[in-house]
Amino acid sequence: MKAFPRIAAAFLFIGPYLLCLQLSTRPVSAQQPSPEGIEFFEKKIRPVLESNCYMCHSAHSKKLQGGLLLDSRDGMLKGGTSGQPAIRPGDSDSSLLIKAIRYDDAKLQMPPAGQLSPAQVKDLESWVKMGAPDPRGQTASAQLSWQPYDLDEARKFWSFQPLKNLPLPEVVNKAWLRSPIDRFILARLESKGLKPVVAADKRSLIRRATFDLTALPPTPEEIDAFLNDTSAKAFEKIIDRLLASPHYGERWGRHWLDVVRYADTAGCNSDFPVPAAYKYRNYVIKSFNENKPYDRFIREQIAGDLLPAKSEAEKYENIIATGYLAGSRRFGSRTKEFDLTIDDTIDNLGKTFLGLSVSCARCHNHKFDPIPTKDYYALYGIFNSSRYAFPGTEIYPHPADMVALTSGQEAERFYKWQKELAALDDRKEFLTAESGTAARNKAVREKQLKEAGQHSPEQAKSPDKQANNQSGSAGQNASPNSEQKKELHSPGELRPADYDRDGVNWSTASKSTRMPEEVLAEAEKVKARIAELGEHTPKVEKAYAVVEGLPANARIHRKGDSKDLGEEVPRAFLSILGGQQLPPDHKGSGRDSLANWIADPNNPLTARVMVNRIWQYHFGKGIVPTPNDFGSRGAAPTHPELLDYLATQFIKSGWSIKAMHRMIMLSRVYQLTAVDDPRNSAVDANNDLLWRFNRRRLSAEEIRDAMLAVSGSLKGTMGEAHPFPPESDWRYTQHNQFFAVYDTNCRSVYLMQQRQKKHPLMEVFDGPDTNAITSPRPLSTTPLQALFLMNNLFVHQQADSFAVRVGMAFNTLPQRINYAFLLAYGRRARTSEIREAMAYVHQLREEFQSVKTPPDQLTRAALASYLRVVFGSDEFLYVD
Amino acid sequence: MERDCCDHSRRQMVRSLFCGSIMLPAVFSHLLSQEARGEENPLAPKTPHFPGKAKRVIFIYLPGGASHVDSFDYKPKLIDDAKNGRLYEGKRTLLTPLWEFKPRGKSGIMTSDLFPHIGESIDDICVINSMRGDHNDHFQATLGIHTGSVTFKRPSIGSWVSYGLGTENQNLPSFVVLAPQLPYAGGQVWDSDFLPGVHQGTRVVAGDEPVANLKRRAPSGKIQEAELGLLERFNRRHQLTRASDPQLAARIKTYETAFGMQREMPEVLDLSKESDATLKLYGLERRQTTGFGWQCLVARRLAERGVRFIELIDVGASKNWDAHGDMKTHEPLARNIDKPIAGLIKDLKSRGLFEDTLIVWTTEFGRSPTGEGTYGRGHYCYAYSSWLAGAGVRGGMVYGKTDDYGMKVAENEVHVHDFNATILHLLGFDHTRLTFRHGGRDFRLTDVHGKVVKAILA
Repeated sequence: MKAFPRIAAAFLFIGPYLLCLQLSTRPVSAQQPSPEGIEFFEKKIRPVLESNCYMCHSAHSKKLQGGLLLDSRDGMLKGGTSGQPAIRPGDSDSSLLIKAIRYDDAKLQMPPAGQLSPAQVKDLESWVKMGAPDPRGQTASAQLSWQPYDLDEARKFWSFQPLKNLPLPEVVNKAWLRSPIDRFILARLESKGLKPVVAADKRSLIRRATFDLTALPPTPEEIDAFLNDTSAKAFEKIIDRLLASPHYGERWGRHWLDVVRYADTAGCNSDFPVPAAYKYRNYVIKSFNENKPYDRFIREQIAGDLLPAKSEAEKYENIIATGYLAGSRRFGSRTKEFDLTIDDTIDNLGKTFLGLSVSCARCHNHKFDPIPTKDYYALYGIFNSSRYAFPGTEIYPHPADMVALTSGQEAERFYKWQKELAALDDRKEFLTAESGTAARNKAVREKQLKEAGQHSPEQAKSPDKQANNQSGSAGQNASPNSEQKKELHSPGELRPADYDRDGVNWSTASKSTRMPEEVLAEAEKVKARIAELGEHTPKVEKAYAVVEGLPANARIHRKGDSKDLGEEVPRAFLSILGGQQLPPDHKGSGRDSLANWIADPNNPLTARVMVNRIWQYHFGKGIVPTPNDFGSRGAAPTHPELLDYLATQFIKSGWSIKAMHRMIMLSRVYQLTAVDDPRNSAVDANNDLLWRFNRRRLSAEEIRDAMLAVSGSLKGTMGEAHPFPPESDWRYTQHNQFFAVYDTNCRSVYLMQQRQKKHPLMEVFDGPDTNAITSPRPLSTTPLQALFLMNNLFVHQQADSFAVRVGMAFNTLPQRINYAFLLAYGRRARTSEIREAMAYVHQLREEFQSVKTPPDQLTRAALASYLRVVFGSDEFLYVD
Repeated sequence: MERDCCDHSRRQMVRSLFCGSIMLPAVFSHLLSQEARGEENPLAPKTPHFPGKAKRVIFIYLPGGASHVDSFDYKPKLIDDAKNGRLYEGKRTLLTPLWEFKPRGKSGIMTSDLFPHIGESIDDICVINSMRGDHNDHFQATLGIHTGSVTFKRPSIGSWVSYGLGTENQNLPSFVVLAPQLPYAGGQVWDSDFLPGVHQGTRVVAGDEPVANLKRRAPSGKIQEAELGLLERFNRRHQLTRASDPQLAARIKTYETAFGMQREMPEVLDLSKESDATLKLYGLERRQTTGFGWQCLVARRLAERGVRFIELIDVGASKNWDAHGDMKTHEPLARNIDKPIAGLIKDLKSRGLFEDTLIVWTTEFGRSPTGEGTYGRGHYCYAYSSWLAGAGVRGGMVYGKTDDYGMKVAENEVHVHDFNATILHLLGFDHTRLTFRHGGRDFRLTDVHGKVVKAILA
């Protein structure tokens, strides 16, 4: 079963292809129009244009359609976004305008409201034939630049404004203040006549802080120490201890992985595993633990391979960091949809670092924010000039362009091996295509031989030409663009990231003159060689990374169609953020420059977006409630001055994320209780102004990790590679996708997560979206979650381990229950709760007896049953 | 009727909890007084934009691409030319459809012997022979028909319907998928994506544990009831000082629903009370729990119990309708589904469910009228067939037309977006207004496209 119908595919792209062929010449230059011509224009043409076309195609159009201006000669000659002139003076048949008014092509009919009269059509045809005499020349409209936005006006939007350093607001209740943050919060509350609730008690606070910074419950010892520490700095010490814990990076690294839609598989039709992806995951965790300055973190992920490194280890870490880019989603069964992968890169990059939906500008200028399509392709050029590691697909099953984390001979051997495999994959696909051509060649030859028997031998021509003429599907498959690309870049050379291996393999194969036997023989050899190479896989550490490719500007894909190329766009940054271009002598892709433009302290978005994320994860809601959209469709900040204050402090601190945590957590507002206050909620039901803390449900990972932690089963070490099957065994196709779930007692951040199938736990408890930026996570409350907590094997196992743990620690039931409460809830059990527990365990022992549980297991079983209740309870699943 | 059933199970649960000796009466007064409050429950039944004829959907999807020219799109010229070895446009080999076409029903619609039983019900069916998709790869086209997007991850049509209409029976999921194997794109086919998680399809498979975590793991019902009773107490106590939190209240409700589901789902799947005549209608042997007949009968039982969207997928991502090598492989696949589908139509009719249940029969694309290899056909998204039947649909009609060969749509193209828009219309939705705000813009099933096919509405 083939993954792709060749014949059908040809149809898909034939439309735009024809258009390109027909309209490829440049518009002729304007001549001085004759008086008769002008008269004809004024009498017959101008009135028709004015009453039928100008509404949508003039400088005064309310909304200019298709970028096409028909109110000037220049506008007509230049054409609209299609890039083709509307008229070609002297040649009415190939003028788009004439085609459109003729209504012949169902896809191109103008004016849309109804066809012009036959006389009007004829007039326009005659006018174009006579050279389109036009007195209008260059009107104001033709001077309109490509820039569809007034950038000065657009820059007035709050998020594009430079950070404001305003004086701290005045408040009445100064005694309440503990940090500058509190001033911003209290000022708003006071202005609305709201009073913040009281401070949380120490038990709630340590539980809140511990989950917040490490996604784990505090241990009874940690709670005791905090309760016994009456010093003023007690909570500060807790924060510092938690920030220094290796579990901090596992929590906040996970937040980052949500944002960059991390997964251990590629997302293609077969969802190929990416065994090296985990190195980027661990790099993120390590970076958070090391408190890597955020600007540095940005540079490493976008251009780590281009940064200077003091050691081999640093160099490799920098390369691994570009796993951020390599992690872009893959599509299809082949390689021809790589433009979508670059789109995914741009989409994620825009939202992650800038809070802008840049990828909306892929097919048209952004409808709401000042991002022209040109800006999109300015970025596209940068990524298309890079080389993404290739995870393998159904048709090209071997990973390619992985980066060796070693040097010298070892690296060379690996690269040679990897390159040969990729070339063999290409050859294999070429031979698949060629077998069709060869079958036709054979048929042609047989026919000729037969005819030659009847006619003169001269007529039996070489099969080449005829085979070509009949090459059918594969020949039609290749557009002129891929044709050009193919000539420029044979396999193994530097090539653009969106290079189409399929187009090349199929179009070359369509020209073959070989016979089926030859093709078959070679196919056998290729197969044997692939098997041979599979047996000699070099053992080398690899990175799923991005490095430099073939530096070149991209051309606009009209309406997002990669087969329909428009003008070339220099690689540059977004116009609204400065529009910086690469220096003229720049030799590379430009990722290094892009990283600097983003990490520039003068960029008004970068720091704001990141401090807002940090705030959001602490409070459950960002100051800007739409953390990935700081554009006009996003929500406005609830506390704009606070956002700017935090962003300024963030940059001042050397982009220190841990400094932000300290600052936020030491504020009064972070330490409020989560209880309701009817007076406040009557005014601000959503708690937008933060008069209390937001209670939250634990995330999927926290639920699992907290169960493992309290049951004593958690493996606290860092997760390593997943036990994927060896590469040489991969036979994944869209008919037989890769699916796996690997058990581990490591923290949940180390679970293998796929793009095409969610991990069962993540599926039930709103885990991250591995296909697109997640943040904030939706927190649903569903019956399937209840079923999970009631019946899932993992929950039962952990409850049993938990029973054994408390059973081993203490001899009496009250002590055991009390210990369980301390572990799970961070508090002692009340006397009434202990009584209730004793009655329950007593009753359940009988129930277990009646289902033939061995006598020595009764207490354990009854206790485990009790602890399942603890696991399912809101006090366990929520943090106040 | 469904409501009674639901309430019954809820009361029963409460009563059974009462029997546990450790429960306090105060808890039950809470529990019994609490009815499903709409604003807390995203699955509470909702009113659509206008009264829709269809109250629920049974969506039958055939993975791999079922051939249109072998089933519902009769092309005498294709048959004639293919038999006589005439090439398409002088260069491409046409393949003869393997099954004979006959006029069927009062309407006399020509359908083939591939689906003789469905053919018998043709007067209840509206065949669309002018379907058009955007992609010729299984994975993308499968997502196209289900989510409206061939590239990016989007919510499934079942999730949209659940989001729009909620569901009638709170003890069962709103969107159930009966799929013995995973289709192309796996669980993405029924993923709720950015819609709230409750609207995700729940996959049900025959066997020991039809839904993940559905089977009681506690060794006895009494033990589980004791656990749930104590849990209720814990949560009520926790809520005492947090009374205003709707999430906490909703969570208490989910245990109740989960318990109901644990009880009701096995009951739905238990066909022992179905009569021999009914089983026969679906071509089922008693105690058979495999095959499409089982899926169809379970679908009827789910429909009866108020499940909003039921998807039936006959086979998985391999060994399916993808007949590249030999069109004969359609035969056993058709035999598996033909009688059960016809039985489902008849059964729904006899129970008065046909009037407000929409049956959708579709595939991700058709198959090329030209041959592939000697006996097979390739993928073909440019023209293919699907059909609708039941609520609000005109039966015994053919809509849309392809050219003489089934190669191109000649009349009344129905793009996948139009097809989906029409399904939503039948449920009472203006497809342009069933939206969800995500990432700064409103998304909908039909993206920025879709026209309701008015001509097929009854």
